[in-house]
Amino acid sequence: MHKYIIRRILVFIPMLIMLSIIVFALAKAAPGDPFTGKILDPTVDPEVFNEQREALGLNDPIPVQYFRWATSMAKGDFGESMYYKGRDVQSLISERIVNTVYLGLFALVITLVVAIPIGIYSAKNPYSPLDYSATTFGFLGLAIPNFFFGLIAIYVFAIKLGWFPAQGTISNIHITGFSEFLNRIHHMVLPGITLGLAGTATYMRYMRSEVLDVLGSDYIRTAKAKGMNDRNVLYKHTLRNAIIPIITLMGFEFGALLSGAIITEQVFSYPGLGTLFINSITNRDYPVIMSITLLLGVAILIGNLLADIFYSIVDPRIRYD
Amino acid sequence: MNRAFRRLLILLVFLCMMGFLLVACNDDGDEEGAENEDTTENTDDGEEGKEEKAESGPQAGGTLTGAMYSAPAGMFNPIFYEEAYEANILSFTHDSLVSQNESLEFIPSLAKEWETNEDQTSLTLKLEEGVTWHDGEEFTAEDVVFTYKSMSDPDYVSAGGIRTAYVLPLLGYTAYSSGETDTFEGVVAEDDYTVTFHFEEPNINPLYYASFPIIPEHIFKDIPVAEMPEAAESRDAGAVIGTGAFKFTEMVEREQYILERHEDYWQGTPYLESIVWKVVAQSVMTGLLESGEVDFIADPNGIPPADFETVQGFGNIEIIEQPDFGYQLLGFKHNHRTSEDVEAGALEPDNWVPNEKLADPKVRQAISYAVNREGLVEGLLYGRGQPINSPIATQFWAYDDAAATNYNYDPEKAGSMLDELGYVDANGDGFREDPEGNEWVLNLDYPTGNELREKTAPLLKQQLEEAGISVNMRQPKEMTAYVEELTNDNTDWDLYLLGWSLGSADPDPSGLWATKAAYNFSRWNNPESEELMQKALKAPEAFEQDYRAEVYSEWQTVFSEDLPALLLYAQNSLWAYNKRLQGVEPLPYTMYQDAHLWWVNDAN
Repeated sequence: MHKYIIRRILVFIPMLIMLSIIVFALAKAAPGDPFTGKILDPTVDPEVFNEQREALGLNDPIPVQYFRWATSMAKGDFGESMYYKGRDVQSLISERIVNTVYLGLFALVITLVVAIPIGIYSAKNPYSPLDYSATTFGFLGLAIPNFFFGLIAIYVFAIKLGWFPAQGTISNIHITGFSEFLNRIHHMVLPGITLGLAGTATYMRYMRSEVLDVLGSDYIRTAKAKGMNDRNVLYKHTLRNAIIPIITLMGFEFGALLSGAIITEQVFSYPGLGTLFINSITNRDYPVIMSITLLLGVAILIGNLLADIFYSIVDPRIRYD
Repeated sequence: MNRAFRRLLILLVFLCMMGFLLVACNDDGDEEGAENEDTTENTDDGEEGKEEKAESGPQAGGTLTGAMYSAPAGMFNPIFYEEAYEANILSFTHDSLVSQNESLEFIPSLAKEWETNEDQTSLTLKLEEGVTWHDGEEFTAEDVVFTYKSMSDPDYVSAGGIRTAYVLPLLGYTAYSSGETDTFEGVVAEDDYTVTFHFEEPNINPLYYASFPIIPEHIFKDIPVAEMPEAAESRDAGAVIGTGAFKFTEMVEREQYILERHEDYWQGTPYLESIVWKVVAQSVMTGLLESGEVDFIADPNGIPPADFETVQGFGNIEIIEQPDFGYQLLGFKHNHRTSEDVEAGALEPDNWVPNEKLADPKVRQAISYAVNREGLVEGLLYGRGQPINSPIATQFWAYDDAAATNYNYDPEKAGSMLDELGYVDANGDGFREDPEGNEWVLNLDYPTGNELREKTAPLLKQQLEEAGISVNMRQPKEMTAYVEELTNDNTDWDLYLLGWSLGSADPDPSGLWATKAAYNFSRWNNPESEELMQKALKAPEAFEQDYRAEVYSEWQTVFSEDLPALLLYAQNSLWAYNKRLQGVEPLPYTMYQDAHLWWVNDAN
C-alpha cells in the first residue's frame, strides 16, 4: 500500500510537467499579453508598455520564457504577478485560497448532509410522495442556474428579510476569535447553499439509484434471508457498496473545491480563487494562470489518490500492491 | 495509474475548453481606458444640498458607505496605480497642487497661487503653508520635487509606472530618465513653499502637468523607485500616506476599504467620521441602494441606464446625471498597415495601404447617414446619453457643435448618395455592389466587455443593410484579443467599434487622431487635420484659449467631413447617492469633490 502511494505520487511529477507545458503553450497562444488590454488609455504612451514588456522578458522566445518560469517554480518561487504590480503569486493565492476552501467545504457539507439521507430514504421508499418531491427538487436544483438562484437568495434573504449578509466574507476587520468564525459562517450561508444546490441534486440522484441497485442484488437477498434486520442490511451491506460512486464523485470534487465557483463568487462578491483565475486569464497574467492551474492539477491528482485509497477501505476486495 | 492518467486528460481537455471559452466570451466591463485622476465633475444638484444645509447645519460624525463593482488591484501609490478603482480611494487620500472647477479651469489646491514666465517655459507655484501629511509631517516643496523626480527616474517605467505623460515635457527629462545625469532640473524647490516647473519648450497647458497627486518624500526617500510598487507604503492600509481629507486606515482585501477622517486636514476637519468602500456585485447594487446598505455609487461605473427609473423610484436616492467625457464610435479603417510594418511595429504613413472599400469620404458620409444614432441612444441607453458629432467632449470650451456635420438618421439620403456614387445593386441580390460591379461587403468587428456596445453591433448591421450595404458582422472578440488585432492591422477590417474614456484636463485630440498616434486605429492620414492639431498646440498663439478654440472648431469640421470614425454617442454618467448625504457638489468629472464638506443628517 505504501509503495503504491509513493509510486502514485512519483507519477504526479511528469504529469504536472506535461500539464504545465500545455497550459503555458495555451496561455501564450491566446492573443495579446498583460499589456494589450491596458493600452486603451490615451494619456499613456504605448511605448511605456513596450519597455515594460522588455523588462518582464515577454519579448523573449516562448521556450526561454517557459524555462525561466519552470526553474523559478522548481525553486519554490511562484513568481510575481504581471497584473497586480509588486505582488507575488504566493500571497495572491494564499489570500484567496482560504475563502475558497472554506466555502467549498461548507457547500460540500451541506450537500452531503442533505443529499445522502434523502437519497437513501428515496431508495428505500421509491415512488413515495417524498421520493417524488425529492426528484422534483433534484431536477429543479440542476436546472436553476447558480447566478439566478444566488440573486433570488440575496433578494429574499438578505435584502428583504435581512437574515444574512448579501456580500463579502466578513462584516469588518475588528471581529476576531470565535465571533469571527461565526461571522464568516454567517456570510457563507447564502453562497454555500447556492454553490451546494446543484451538487445536492446530483448526489441525491446518485445515492438513490445506487442504493436501489444494491438493494435489488443477490447478496442483499441472502442477507435478508439470513434473517438480518432491515437496519443492518442497510447500514452494513447496502451503504458500503452504494457509497463507491459517491467517493469517485468526491475525488473530483476535491479539485473543484479549489477551482472555486466563479459565478457564485461573483454574485456574492466573495473573493476566491475562481475570480482570481478568471481575471488572470482576462489579463493574461501568466504567472498566476500557471500557478493556479498547477494547484488545480495537484488537487485533482490528490483527490483521485484519496478516492482510490478510500475504495480499498470501503471495499476490501480492492487491494493495491 | 491508468485511471488517474485518463482523469488528468479529462482535466486537461476541460481546462483547454475553459480557456478558450473565456478567451472567446469573457465579460469584464472595465477594460476600456482607465479613468485618470484628472477626470471630471458636475453640478446639477449642488443647490439642493445647500437648501438642506440651511435647514440644519452640517453635523460632524457618521459613516458613509460607497460601492464599487470591482475590487481595486491594490496599488495605492498615485504614481503607480492604474485603475479607476484605486483612483476612487486616492481621490480622498491624496491632493494635487491644482484641481479643476466646473468650467474645467484649473483652481488652487495645495498650491495657492502661481505664475508663468513670458514664454511659458516655467511655472512657479506658491504652496499652502501648514499642510500636514496623515502622519503629522509637514508638506513642503521638496515633496513636489520628489514626486516628479520619482516619475522621471530611470527605473520608473520598468518598475511598472505608466504616468510618464506628466513628466515628458519637463526640462532635462530625457537626460535624467536615461540615467545620463543625476541632476533633476524639471521641478525645483525655490524654498519650502515655492516650487518651479521648468519645461523643455513653451508649454500651452502647464497647469495640467502640475495636477498630479503628490506623494510624501519622508516616507519614500529610502525606497528605490524600482522597489516602490511592492513597498508596504504603496499598498497597505495604515502605511499609505497622503495629504487628503481622509486616511486609508484599514482594509479587508478585495472586500472593504476603510477611510477615516484626517483631523488636521488643511482645509478643515472633515465632518464625516469615516467612509467605507465596499465591493459589490452590480446585479445586487440597486437592491443595496434601496435598503440603505450602500450610500453612494459613482465612478467609474455608476448605475446602468436600464436601472435609472427603478433607482429614481426609490425615493431615498438622489441621482446626478451628466455627460461623460468619453464616447463610443464606429471606426472606418482608412488604411491598413503592411505586414512588414506590423512586424516591425512601425507607423509609417507612407507605407500604408488604402482601404479601397471605404476610400471615398462620400461613402463614409453615406454610411453615417444610414446609422440611427438617436435610436441607439433611446433603445440602448434608455435616453441617458446623446449622439455627439465631434470627438471633443461637449463640456469643453473647444467643443463646437456648429462646426461639425450632424449625421442625422436619413436612410434615403444615404441611399441616394450611394446611388450617385455608383454603388447600386446591379445583380439584384438586395445589396449594393461597388461602382465596378464587384461585391461590396463591409466587415464589422467589435469587442466584448461592454454590454451596450455588444448590442450596438447587430443593430448597426441591420441599419446598414436597410440602406442596402452588405455587412459581414464577425464574432465579437475579447478585449485583449480585439486590441491586438486592431493594432496589428494588416487585416481585412473595415468597420470597428470602440469606446474611449477620456480625461477632463485638455481637449487636445492628437493622442487619438494624429496620423502617427498609436491609437489612431483608423490609420487616418489627413494633412489638413494634422496641420490644425499642431497649430492648436503651437506657442505662443496657443496660450490664448480663444485662438485654440477657433482652430479646434476648424478641425472638428475636417474630422466630421473626412470621418475617420462616426461618433455614436456619449453616455451620461449616472451617479447615485442616498439623501442622508449632504454637501455633495459634483463637478463635470467627479462626484468626489470637497469630501471634507460632506456630512450625513443622521450622524447623531
